[in-house]
Amino acid sequence: MSLGTHHGGHGGGVQEDVGEIVAVADRVRGAIETVIEGKPEVLRLALTVLLAEGHLLIEDVPGVGKTMLAKALGRAVDCSVQRVQFTPDLLPSDITGVSVYHQDRREFEFNPGPVFANIVLGDEINRASPKTQAALLECMAERQVSVDGQTRALERPFMVVATQNPADMEGTYALPEAQRDRFMARVSVGYPAPQAELDMIDSHSSRSPLDDLAPVTSAAQIRDLADRVHSVHVAPGMRRYVVDLVNATRTSPELRLGASPRATLHLVRAARAYAALDGRHYVVPDDVQALAVPVLAHRLLPGPEAQMERLSPEQIVAKLVARLPVPGPQ
Amino acid sequence: MPLGSLACMLMALPLLDSLVRGGTWWVPAFVMMVAVAGVSALYRLSGWNVLPVPFLQALAVALLATPLFAGHMAPLGLLPTERVLVHLVTVFEQGMKTIDASAPPVSSSAGVMLVIALALAVLTGAADFLAVTARCPGMVGGLLLALVSVPVLLDGSGLDWLPATACAVGFLALLAMDMWVRGHEWGARVPDERGSRAGTPGSVRVPDGPDSRARKLGAVRGVATVSLASAAAVLLAVTVPLMLPSLRTDTLRTMLDGTRIGTGGNHITTTHPLVSLRRDLSFSDRRVLTYRTDAEQPPYLRTYVLDEFDGVNWTMTPVNASIGTRVDGELPLPTGWGSAPSEDVVTTRISLDSETPRMDFLPLPYWARTVRAPGEWYADPRSLMVFTTDSAPTGLNFTVETVDRVPTAEELADTGNPRSLPGDYRNLPNGLDPRVRELTDALTEEARTPYERAVALQEYFTGGAFTYDLDPPSVPSDADPLVHFLLEDRVGYCEQFAGAMAVMARQAGIPARVAVGYTAGERMGDGRWAVSSGDAHAWPELYFEGAGWLRFEPTPAAADGQGSASVPDYSRGSEEGGADSPGTVPEESELSPDEASEDPREDGAPEEEPSQAPEEGGEPEDEPTSSVAAPGDGSPTAGGLAWLPVAGAAAVGVLLLLVLPALVRALVRWSRTTALSAGTAGAAEAHTAWRELRDTCLDLGGTWTPAESPRATAERLARSGPSPATAEPGGLMSGAAREPVPPEAAEALWRLALAEESARYAPSPGSPEGLREDLWTALSGLDAAVGPGARLRAVLLPRSLAPWHRPRPAPGPGPVTL
Repeated sequence: MSLGTHHGGHGGGVQEDVGEIVAVADRVRGAIETVIEGKPEVLRLALTVLLAEGHLLIEDVPGVGKTMLAKALGRAVDCSVQRVQFTPDLLPSDITGVSVYHQDRREFEFNPGPVFANIVLGDEINRASPKTQAALLECMAERQVSVDGQTRALERPFMVVATQNPADMEGTYALPEAQRDRFMARVSVGYPAPQAELDMIDSHSSRSPLDDLAPVTSAAQIRDLADRVHSVHVAPGMRRYVVDLVNATRTSPELRLGASPRATLHLVRAARAYAALDGRHYVVPDDVQALAVPVLAHRLLPGPEAQMERLSPEQIVAKLVARLPVPGPQ
Repeated sequence: MPLGSLACMLMALPLLDSLVRGGTWWVPAFVMMVAVAGVSALYRLSGWNVLPVPFLQALAVALLATPLFAGHMAPLGLLPTERVLVHLVTVFEQGMKTIDASAPPVSSSAGVMLVIALALAVLTGAADFLAVTARCPGMVGGLLLALVSVPVLLDGSGLDWLPATACAVGFLALLAMDMWVRGHEWGARVPDERGSRAGTPGSVRVPDGPDSRARKLGAVRGVATVSLASAAAVLLAVTVPLMLPSLRTDTLRTMLDGTRIGTGGNHITTTHPLVSLRRDLSFSDRRVLTYRTDAEQPPYLRTYVLDEFDGVNWTMTPVNASIGTRVDGELPLPTGWGSAPSEDVVTTRISLDSETPRMDFLPLPYWARTVRAPGEWYADPRSLMVFTTDSAPTGLNFTVETVDRVPTAEELADTGNPRSLPGDYRNLPNGLDPRVRELTDALTEEARTPYERAVALQEYFTGGAFTYDLDPPSVPSDADPLVHFLLEDRVGYCEQFAGAMAVMARQAGIPARVAVGYTAGERMGDGRWAVSSGDAHAWPELYFEGAGWLRFEPTPAAADGQGSASVPDYSRGSEEGGADSPGTVPEESELSPDEASEDPREDGAPEEEPSQAPEEGGEPEDEPTSSVAAPGDGSPTAGGLAWLPVAGAAAVGVLLLLVLPALVRALVRWSRTTALSAGTAGAAEAHTAWRELRDTCLDLGGTWTPAESPRATAERLARSGPSPATAEPGGLMSGAAREPVPPEAAEALWRLALAEESARYAPSPGSPEGLREDLWTALSGLDAAVGPGARLRAVLLPRSLAPWHRPRPAPGPGPVTL
């Protein structure tokens, strides 16, 4: 429900910031929706991760538009986009770049790899060998590339959108927990609704709608907006709420591995962006609740009992959320 | 928790020890309590959530009562048949009668045990409900208070420190256990930065880390703090009253002087004297005692003194046995005697008949200077009753030295209004029929002094207007026995005469009480005097300043009355003289021998009962026998209307009680809406509006979970109204109306939610407008979404007032580690 009455009498600055975020986000959303229809929640989550400067993991069966989503996002923002198709024989240097010796100048020259871009599409990331996966994931965490002893910073915004097929598909190397932890959120696209699928037949039959997608914002603007997201207020009670929630995953008997402190940071950052996308300059429990499953679930390992009961981490997180009291009045 | 509440109640069990004699009374109670709590514990563990727990508990109690109390007549000793149930009801009634009729401690008959066991089972069930279902174990304290007040009220001698402490410790343990359970229910909770939660055991549960030792230390410190605080609380509760003179009670002083603690506490054991009188009416004439005395005209032998009147019965204030009141030869001086008597001492040797049942109270002449009897005896300083707490031997022989100080009518005529009396012997219950007062006023109109008034009253009874009858017609059940006796049929025996005169004397401003005992009896050939149960008697004692308590005799004597009764000279009025014969008891007593055989049935031999009455509690019992002023036929007019004001008051009371929750709820709502309309809206107002919304939702039977954010709540309410607690949100409902709330109410709900949200989480909350209007719109929208039944219940029984309906974490699998 969105009756659109937004509150908050906080003076000018923050309110305007938030208003601009909403405006830009609406433009991006509108642009992407010409390509991918009927997935507003997925879109919103992707934008959240973009503004929160995190990385997004899209996990689903082949053919539901994972790559299309990533491409559309890159296209809508006027920034450098690189795409890496992960295969078992991909090498780390294929991602980070290599130093090539120039005969005429008698020196090494660094040829930057595809990771030097604002948005990096890692397609089917779990098809590459663990070594190559690790190379990318290191860049993701540190936002810099070290090659031949030289460290090169990556330009902001830097967002890795990785897609992967479910772990039980053939020819995959599952991402280890430590690497999954680096993604801010995981999302499934899911099959489109029947009507959306019908429309898709029409729009995709002649040519790809991606070709018509024109950029609606710039990298500089996204950078600016990401800065402003940091000023979204998180009340003390809300901070405790987040910590309590993460803590609950650690003490739950149904989980073998709980969420990390990095997850706490990711959750707060994502909640800020989520609130800003809603036009608010403060975080409410609904933000955290909406993000709890995408942000936390992919980092958790269910315990043996939960596995026997076929409880997925998503279900466990949802249960925890349903039980944790929201922060009341101060 | 069920076991915790059980332990708590069990710890309180010793409190009742002083009220019941016999060692086994607690066994059935214990079994029942364990069963009640056990049913609760097992049922909750099983998770089979179909029947309410109290229902099962009641079933368990019913099933247990059969083998415990009627095992011999039930098939297999277990199955409750109709016959068994009837038997149980009979036993229960007997128990109730025994308890009604006896002063504590009652003996532990089957009936008494059944009553106690059932009462404790109910209390345990209630404690279980409060502590487990409602999750407010603090309220169990109320139950304990009720339990504690039983011995305190009945016994008057206070509590032993040991049961009281056990009770307190049990309660504290229950509270502690609740804290512990609550702490664990949520798994780890991040400790507050200020560390304020660190001291509470159980609230912090963190995985073992490098500083787990520090945590253990903290836990130990927490436990120590809590224990110290608890001990201090108990200690303060006991000692503070001692510091404040106004709160210092006899009870506490008694405890302080060490007698109760040191000697283990003695409680006087007696049955209700009036019951004894009544029962004795059916007894045959029988020798009770014989005595040999130097006196020419021996005085009456007094056993009991009844000083409290409840409108129908005269009863005895419970007496206490302590070292301070132990009879060591000499008795204290009677109240009202300025100095020790100088008159001649008369020695009387009394032999109780060996056939006579034990007497816990000695029949003594008044005033006895010394009593020498084997065994331990205590004297009540106010009434000078002499009694024992042991079981007195039958066939007791003892010696009494009495002093006959009998004032003359002239002396009495000069006495003024009583001033020196400890305790108020002029109290009368409210609601006495005004016609009694009119009668008293009319009779004493001419009298100037208390003495003259007393004489006038006695003459009214002995003047011939009254008929002495041992078997008076019964009083109609709706009539006031006192009015009936005085104004209607004027037929009765000594109890009615004595009781009525004592009441009227109190009305006339003379302290009065009723004494029960024997007349002087009949002289035998060998110079001894014989007292039979037919000589049992009751008479009023009136108090005169300077002369003390004096016997009066309103009961007609001689052939038409109580045979051996005698009217004291001083009570005949000053014109009759008699000043020259102090100490003589009038001649009527001489007449008694021939009459004695006619009297046996009339007045009780009070001493029969002490140990017997409880077992025989099943005897039929009705109004005429139950009171001193009982007999006669009620005036239909007075009796017919007398109940009206009472019933009216009761109806109003019940009505008030019924609408009380509604009133409280309305008051709460009114204060909140007033707060909303006053001044500018801010965070506090948003919270107020939200709380009112929450309470209304609860009232209407809706759910309210603390895990739901304001906007989620608003969405749910807008979608499906306040759905019943058991329903899935938005799911299919049966029965109750399930329309979504109207659109304008949905918008109002949304605005309220946003205001609350902003007040909670925004850095500087906005100033929402129109909160009050939004609240009203939302509330009426919620009202409209439920059926009329739910609306009515919301008004009459608002659930928001019940703490156990307040939102709390929803149960379910999760990080619960118990």
